[in-house]
Amino acid sequence: MSEKAIEPIHQFNIVKYFTFGNFGGNGSEGSGMEIAFTNSALFMLLTLLAASAFLILSTRGRGLVPGRMQLMAEMVYEFVANMVRSSAGTEGMRFFPFVFTLFMFILVANFFGMVPYFFTVTSHIIVTAALAVLVFLVVVIYGFMRNGAKFLKLFVPPGIPWFIIWLVVPIEIISFLSRPLSHSLRLWGNMLAGHIVLKVFGGMVVALLGAGAWGVVAILPFGMAVALTGLEFLVAALQAFVFAVLTCVYLNDAIHPGH
Amino acid sequence: MANSSHSDGPDPEREARDRSRSLAERIAGARRETMVAEASAEFRQREMTGMGRAFRFAAEFVAAIIVGAGIGYGIDLLLGTRPWAMIVLLLLGFAAGVLNVMRAAAEMNADVSVGTASSSQVLDDDDD
Repeated sequence: MSEKAIEPIHQFNIVKYFTFGNFGGNGSEGSGMEIAFTNSALFMLLTLLAASAFLILSTRGRGLVPGRMQLMAEMVYEFVANMVRSSAGTEGMRFFPFVFTLFMFILVANFFGMVPYFFTVTSHIIVTAALAVLVFLVVVIYGFMRNGAKFLKLFVPPGIPWFIIWLVVPIEIISFLSRPLSHSLRLWGNMLAGHIVLKVFGGMVVALLGAGAWGVVAILPFGMAVALTGLEFLVAALQAFVFAVLTCVYLNDAIHPGH
Repeated sequence: MANSSHSDGPDPEREARDRSRSLAERIAGARRETMVAEASAEFRQREMTGMGRAFRFAAEFVAAIIVGAGIGYGIDLLLGTRPWAMIVLLLLGFAAGVLNVMRAAAEMNADVSVGTASSSQVLDDDDD
């Protein structure tokens, strides 16, 4: 019997393939920032290539009557376009390329994570936080560019008496600042939890099979793992959708701060 | 004879081809639209599952508390007023968390009615 422990979080390890060097710091051990090409970077690159290849190749024919692949690409386009239009209005369509890129990146990265031995880019909070902060900065910068100081109306709900307002404004500001955090937490939490649970049930199957006569019971966690795999595919698509919808909702605030 | 049929009057064969082609195009467009509408409705509905809602509320609530406490801690470090700013902003963070959860709930409730309305609107929408 092998004593190799089953580590459900081993799959999230970052592996450095090669390094670009150490930047900053004072030369002592551990100071500065090492910039390396990791497995996470590799899968981000693969995600980018796969998403681009899918869209470019499927629309190359430009058939008026779309083929199967083109129909899929057009459906994704229409899906995101509907989402932007219903959440951020027609004016929000100027952000369509942004939202579409985010959606495709997260969707493909999540689906890549479902392939055995592949790394799940979105299971690291630094990645989802970077995406969420990007959205946050776009909202803040565009909001101020478009509305000027009127953007601050977002923090002052109408119809509040003056003796309450000094309490409400800080609350609104904290609520606004918490958006990138909750935005990134949801994607990250769902992906991380799902993959750990899958690994745990998979590990149970292996452990039970190694336990002689008890191996018969392994059918139970195996069935669970199969069911969870199906669920995880759904979660992968759903979380990409949720991330994109929230992006649209936040962009709507930048476009119409007064509600 | 062959010449005249080429120049005057519409070529019936080509016209039929064009017509069937535009028909196929419209069928493809309509099919695409219904599929998209169904997928959106399905996704919105799936987000409404107990697990999805619970996760959303938890994230919204916790995020505001962490941000409030973090800002308070930062102010304390800057002004040396430990622990007062953190206490006050932690409490404000709780309030902001409750506000976030209330907004999320209102959004979900609105989504249920808007979701059905917008999917039927997509079907009616001819062309845009």
